[in-house]
Amino acid sequence: MLLEKEMKLADVIHHDYNLVPIINRFGIMLGFGDDSIEAICKKEQINIDFFLTILNAFHDPQYLDNDYLQSFSASLLIDYLQKTHRYYLQNKIPEIEGLIKEMKSEFELDNVSYNLLQKFFIEYKNELINHIENEENRVYPYVIDLENAGHGHPISATLISRIKKYPIHSYEAEHEDVEEKLTDLKNIIIKYLPPSKSQRIRFRLLKELTVLEKDLNDHARIEDLILVPKVEILENLVISKQHL
Amino acid sequence: MSSTKKVIVVSNAFLLTSGIEKLVLELSGMLVDQVFYGSEKKLSDKIISKKPEFVIIDPDAVSDILIPLLRELNEEKDIKIIGLVSSTSSRKIISRFSFTLNVEKSKYQLVEAFQKIVGKEEKKKSNNDQLLSKREKEILQHLAMGLTNQEIANKFFLSVHTIMTHRKKITRKLGIKTLSGLTVYALINNLVDMREVERRV
Ligand SMILES: [Fe+2]
Ligand SMILES: [Fe+2]
Repeated sequence: MLLEKEMKLADVIHHDYNLVPIINRFGIMLGFGDDSIEAICKKEQINIDFFLTILNAFHDPQYLDNDYLQSFSASLLIDYLQKTHRYYLQNKIPEIEGLIKEMKSEFELDNVSYNLLQKFFIEYKNELINHIENEENRVYPYVIDLENAGHGHPISATLISRIKKYPIHSYEAEHEDVEEKLTDLKNIIIKYLPPSKSQRIRFRLLKELTVLEKDLNDHARIEDLILVPKVEILENLVISKQHL
Repeated sequence: MSSTKKVIVVSNAFLLTSGIEKLVLELSGMLVDQVFYGSEKKLSDKIISKKPEFVIIDPDAVSDILIPLLRELNEEKDIKIIGLVSSTSSRKIISRFSFTLNVEKSKYQLVEAFQKIVGKEEKKKSNNDQLLSKREKEILQHLAMGLTNQEIANKFFLSVHTIMTHRKKITRKLGIKTLSGLTVYALINNLVDMREVERRV
């Protein structure tokens, strides 16, 4: 189902619960009554084209097939991606770490398994942090520079050499490593951790990991299928301007 | 029960993709793991990294990269590639695929044809269950102890290539891909003990 601005946001959330974190990232708080998406965006000063794009992209992966890319700036997109990063690092990861600890204190895990699981998760977390830091420290600033250069700012020689040496294209396909570890972790929990009498927290952990996995996949899709093509257009634009 | 078989679909056409997903659901133990558009970059890498058993390709979705794509996928011996064809497809296209499904057939003709493709595969693999062989266990132990592929190869008088093949099999059987994941598995199942693992640091 295509989500459109006339729809009530409450209906949309009833229809697809997975969209709750998204609206939260845009600063929309539950308790918005019967307002339409359009009315809420106006009130919260949210770019509605962009909000609908992200909402639809999460709701239905097929949506990214459409070409609508030019209706918002790269910096708006980056701002959103960074908010998502914060959500992973400040909410999701601590929540999951908490659950792992709780599994131990509730005797759902023996000491050995607990240490293994915890160590494995820390490794995963560090990989995710590295990935995010690389994007925020190297990739995103580059995109902002490109956008500025595309909009009339002076074009530096450093930027041109960066476009030639490390175009956005070279950074794609780097999402697999982070995905692999998470899949492994789920398999370890589903198949290999020794069973325990009560598994209440284990279920919750599995659910949180599955939700995180879906969110990360959608995030990576937005980077690969919206950010990267957008940046490729900017790269070409800047290269062509440089020769003028 | 055999484990789930992963299918990757390469198609740009929504109607076609939805149809394939429905067809795949008709066979038990199969699922469409992911749908890729023909225009995606590094398409073959992405497909291979998903470790699918089957890849169903709409030739129209990848028109100008069909030949290199098939060449790269064909190098993966464990992936069966199925082409979607119709009565109007050229002979040349049809002959590039070892397996084809004709999109004009009725539901149960398609299910049967698909079952045949899957079934052929099934027999070959029937004695290949999820349990690790003795050799695979040994290799897993040494991986967990932090030895490199080269070191393990030297130790067993095997080639690095053979070690890699074993490692791929271990990954497929266990569903665990990363070295740290394999190490956790080895520890939980007492294939190695903590002291042996920690020595590697
Ligand atoms: Fe990111
Ligand atoms: Fe990323």
